[in-house]
Amino acid sequence: MLDWYPIFLKEMLQFKRKLLRLGYIFSAMMAPIIYLITFGLGLGRTVTLSGGVDYLTYLFPGLVAMSSMNNSYSWVASTLNLSRLYFKTFQIYIQAPINPFSIMIGEVLAGMVKGLFASLLILFVGFFLPSGFKINEIFVLALLLNCFMFACLGVITGMITKSHEDTATYSNFFILPMAFFSGTFFSLDRIPHVFKPFIYIMPLTHTNILIRKNFIDTEALLSLFAVLFYCFLFFVLGYLLIRKYNE
Amino acid sequence: MIKIENLSKSYGKVKALDSLNLEIKKSEIFGLLGPNGAGKTTTVKILTNLTKPESGLCFIDGINVLKHPQEVKRIIGVVPQENNLERELTVYENLLIYGMLHKVKSLKKRIEDILSIMELKDKKNSIVNTLSGGFQRRVLLARALLPEPKVMFLDEPSIGLDPHIRRELWQIIRKIKTEGRTVLLTTHYIEEAEALCDRVGILFQGRLIALGTPMELKKNVGEYVVEFFNENGEFISEVCQSREEAYEIAKKRSNGVILRKSNLEDVFVKLTGERIRKIER
Ligand SMILES: Nc1ncnc2c1ncn2[C@@H]1O[C@H](COP(=O)(O)OP(=O)(O)OP(=O)(O)O)[C@@H](O)[C@H]1O
Ligand SMILES: [Mg+2]
Repeated sequence: MLDWYPIFLKEMLQFKRKLLRLGYIFSAMMAPIIYLITFGLGLGRTVTLSGGVDYLTYLFPGLVAMSSMNNSYSWVASTLNLSRLYFKTFQIYIQAPINPFSIMIGEVLAGMVKGLFASLLILFVGFFLPSGFKINEIFVLALLLNCFMFACLGVITGMITKSHEDTATYSNFFILPMAFFSGTFFSLDRIPHVFKPFIYIMPLTHTNILIRKNFIDTEALLSLFAVLFYCFLFFVLGYLLIRKYNE
Repeated sequence: MIKIENLSKSYGKVKALDSLNLEIKKSEIFGLLGPNGAGKTTTVKILTNLTKPESGLCFIDGINVLKHPQEVKRIIGVVPQENNLERELTVYENLLIYGMLHKVKSLKKRIEDILSIMELKDKKNSIVNTLSGGFQRRVLLARALLPEPKVMFLDEPSIGLDPHIRRELWQIIRKIKTEGRTVLLTTHYIEEAEALCDRVGILFQGRLIALGTPMELKKNVGEYVVEFFNENGEFISEVCQSREEAYEIAKKRSNGVILRKSNLEDVFVKLTGERIRKIER
């Protein structure tokens, strides 16, 4: 049952070493701080949103969603890629008498920890800024699901990439556009109708809808289902790729 | 203990294994020799579940490797050609994680035991990256031995080690054998095969071109070797069946002739060289 634990443990041991190097935390905080300053404080002063919400309050959950996506995804995608192709340490899991399912769980949980850690950093920074943002249950649920979803997607790219450069390519094609076009920085109402289908296909869009809700309405429910669907899809695909491993 | 039947595997157009047949007995050290790209690592990878063959069967301790990989994984240990320790973790952490993956019983004690057997006690808390190549190999071996496997696969275990460390490693491998484990090792170092292996097989382009004890192979190819420089200054090395034949050749040379007993290297060079010449024709 706990076959996934050694895999998770290994990632955590490595993560711990990373954290101990002080530079890591500062560099991890860099991106969110820059976003908060440029978009929140700089640009934000000129933006008015319907319903009297100030921009920082709007932006904040979006940044958490984006950052948790980035970190869960890229950590898993890049460590898996490196350990599979260069260090060959992934082969140890394949050669161990454990189920591919356990390998999947171990990798995904580790990715979630990274995503949650990055989110905590932003929440910490946000604590010092004047905004009306408050954490509620829906926020926590959306955040957890988002980390899970993108950690699973990380496994998929980690398993199919043929070189480390590929990781950046996938990231530029899928993750980067998603970060900007799925409601992180501006409301989806402002997007022209022709683009809407594309926007609503992106998984992060639904996290962004969900993470800003104070109560569950129809829109929230639909987005919750969309997120759950992607979680399921990515998990199964990742699992199958691990099971099919063949050099 | 290991049985391979008609095993074939290609990577694109390259035939890495071409219907290989081989049987390895219990508690023997079997050496797989062969030039670069002969298919040694491919054989090990198939037997250790990293890749699947196109056709053929293989069994370890009677278990079908392709049908019941999980059961096979419980009884084998692997030292891969490329060092795949977690370089940023300590020796202890590497062993801990591997032991957990393989569900080793009373793991902490077992780790202490293996550390002292392999004389790694004072390296326990060193980060792998800070260890020399020789120590890293030892950690790889310790890791593979942790779950007490019945069969060990050592893919070029002594590559890149200095002669002294290599001999230390040989001692460890001999010890593994005396514990009743079966060892399949691949190597480029002929003297390693002679020093360690009960039997050797020479692999060439995915096919086994010779099989037997080092002694048998030397007998088959010729027990004597004459070496000299010819008129054009080329180095010639001729393998002969008998001492008399070798004398005949040596007599025709005026100076600088060496007459010696053959070794496994001569067998290797002769057999693989013949094949290469055949292909060129
Ligand atoms: N992943 C791969 N993709 C494509 N070709 C491969 C792959 N792995 C091995 N090969 C090819 O298969 C053949 C056998 O390779 P293998 O690694 O088994 O040889 P080897 O005997 O272990 O050689 P070496 O002594 O250099 O380690 C080689 O021609 C090699 O180029
Ligand atoms: Mg090899």
